[in-house]
Amino acid sequence: MKLTAGLLGCALLAPALAGCGSPTSGEPEAVVIRVQGMPPATDKPGLDQFRKMVAEFERSNPGIKVQGSTTVFDPLTFSAKLAGGRVEDVIKVPLTEPQGLIARRQVQPLTKELSGWAHYKEFNPQVLRPLSDTAGEVYGVPQAPFAQGLVYNRDLFAKAGLDPDRPPKTWDEVRAAAKAISAKTGKAGFVHESKNNQGGWQLTMLAYTHGGEIQREEGGRHVAAFNSDPVKKALGLLKEMRWTDDSMGDAQLNDQNDVIKRFAAGEIGMYMGTPGTYRLAKMTYGMEDTDAFGIGPLPQAGGNATLTGGDVYLVPKSAPADKVAAAVKWLLFAYAEPQYDPAAAASRAKELAADPKSAVGVPTLPMFDAGQQAKIDEAVLPYVNVKLEHFRPWLEGTPSLTLRPEPAVQAQQVYAVLDTVVQAVLTNRAASVDDLLAKAETDVNAKLAAARQ
Amino acid sequence: MSAGRTWTARARVAVPLPAVGAAPTAGKRRLGRNALTALLFLVPALVVFGVFSWWPILRGLLISFQETNLVDPATWVGLANFRALFADPLLGTAIGNTLLFVGLALLIGFPAPLVLAVVLATVRRGAGVYRFLVYLPVVVPPVVAILLWKWFYDPGHGLFNGLLGLVGLGPYPWLDSPGTAMVSLVLQSTWAGMGGAVLIYLAAIVGVPSELYEAAQMDGASIWTRVWHITLPQLRPVIGLLLLMQLISTMQVFTEPYVFTGGGPENATLTVLLLIFRYAFQDGAYGQAAALSFLLAIVLGLLSAVYLRATRSWSAS
Repeated sequence: MKLTAGLLGCALLAPALAGCGSPTSGEPEAVVIRVQGMPPATDKPGLDQFRKMVAEFERSNPGIKVQGSTTVFDPLTFSAKLAGGRVEDVIKVPLTEPQGLIARRQVQPLTKELSGWAHYKEFNPQVLRPLSDTAGEVYGVPQAPFAQGLVYNRDLFAKAGLDPDRPPKTWDEVRAAAKAISAKTGKAGFVHESKNNQGGWQLTMLAYTHGGEIQREEGGRHVAAFNSDPVKKALGLLKEMRWTDDSMGDAQLNDQNDVIKRFAAGEIGMYMGTPGTYRLAKMTYGMEDTDAFGIGPLPQAGGNATLTGGDVYLVPKSAPADKVAAAVKWLLFAYAEPQYDPAAAASRAKELAADPKSAVGVPTLPMFDAGQQAKIDEAVLPYVNVKLEHFRPWLEGTPSLTLRPEPAVQAQQVYAVLDTVVQAVLTNRAASVDDLLAKAETDVNAKLAAARQ
Repeated sequence: MSAGRTWTARARVAVPLPAVGAAPTAGKRRLGRNALTALLFLVPALVVFGVFSWWPILRGLLISFQETNLVDPATWVGLANFRALFADPLLGTAIGNTLLFVGLALLIGFPAPLVLAVVLATVRRGAGVYRFLVYLPVVVPPVVAILLWKWFYDPGHGLFNGLLGLVGLGPYPWLDSPGTAMVSLVLQSTWAGMGGAVLIYLAAIVGVPSELYEAAQMDGASIWTRVWHITLPQLRPVIGLLLLMQLISTMQVFTEPYVFTGGGPENATLTVLLLIFRYAFQDGAYGQAAALSFLLAIVLGLLSAVYLRATRSWSAS
């Protein structure tokens, strides 16, 4: 009872006394920032390294304390945490989300704080674009920027009589390879995602490779641009693969997790994804035969383009100014410097490589310029524990492609509409691509017209 | 939030509670003290309800007339959220799908536990084992059960197509076709939720006076006649209650379409609650989500009023 009363008293008086048991006056109060991005306990090498990083950061920034959180951005809990003022000061978000968060003004512009860093101007502009608004304000720091590619199972390629070192470069070649894989191995040759907005997201990349657009600007406003020949061709390809070739497997309602899980189990020949999905396949879904993981550039059919991907770190609008400054310092220290400074990159790679369960050396896009990236690559080379040659087709093929961002306005809402188009093509043999796109165009234009642009 | 789980949970509402603090002969002072004591006992419940139910309900109602990003001060937008809601072509789809789920659940899910309970009531040997087996799915966490059934439904390697293939049927697309996806959801939901309703029916069947059966038997009534003319009429109040509870809970179907299909294929399993979820958590349109929740709450409120009335009149009879 006494304890309860004490605690109650402490709770009631806390605002007045600035916390029971806090340091006495005279000592400057440390700024405590809560940051997402701490690896879970299952990723021991990553977690150990994170803790070391925090200790090192706190040593060189005595006024700042960092509390790691294993939580990552989850749309389910984010809103509630934001409303309750409980969201972390740094959030880790997949690249599909920043534009929505920026549009809803739920995250802070960081350009002013970031530009204090000596190498800010050297950031690869393509990498910052998906994190910026139309006025050019930058809202975050990427962790590992990627470009979408074609992930494939090298074993299934070999079994189907295909060359694992030469992944398909065009969609015609993908179609032929998928047909061979499903005919010779009985597995799904190629899988396209279709639910939880990821059908629309993947259709966007497929459209880009065919020279198509999802949105275009007309008189200062964005309108739907996907009811066009390139997108019809892209959907026609899916239709042929699904119904004529029967090379896309049986279950068609998949999101990225379903696909990577099945790929890790050796059930899928090819899917569109980033090199970063290697980590998911190995560390989340326990892919044993990681040597079978191969990735090439995103195949093309006249578009010569790909979509960006990966995770980024943002600062929610709820964080006060002192925490924002501290958060940016942390972001630069934890995610930007190791991609700029070869010595920092090498020391982190060395720590991670001590555990065989880690994935060290998964290639990314250059966060700065190609010259700087080459220095980083060279520095970490001794510690790389992934089969780098299996990523080589992606590394060599991607630079010649244009990196394109996600649709500028209401991408998630547009993806939701396009999900139904992809689902119809994949589950209904009689679906008419023309009708589906015409209806989707009307729906999307209604959403875009209602949106604040 | 499996339908059946809610049925059993809500069934407790129907149990009449003993009157607390009823002391009609006590003096005024005594009554005052009693009332104060009763109030003190009520405080924790009132606080919990206030903080976790009434305040969020009120907040939701306010948000339905606002535009907010949950950080900056909200702006009042009048009926704009409701207008946006009615302009969304998916609203009609979602309402239609929800009614389809409710209807199919009524058709498939409602008679199933009743039939099973009547059959189980006649079983003498190993009755406990059968009851345990029937109730078992209720114990399985809903998402786990759904993931299990997802594999059952897999068009290529799934259990159902495998079994049906043995007798030359199929393969069927199950979740992958707009025509069969909703039925597949209802089948799983019925399996998962039936246990609770079966137990309630069984308890009610036990309460039917055995003389009625004995008299009927002496008159030469067959089993079917006895079920039709004795069991079912005696169970009428319970059947009515469970029907209402099922209506209320199936209108809020969410977990099944969310985990099984994400609302697909082609929005064939997009329900009202899933649409609310999409507005709030995918689009960040909190106002629109709150507006639709408000409308759903009105419908559920009406159904609950019917339920309360029915409970009162049935327990009186």
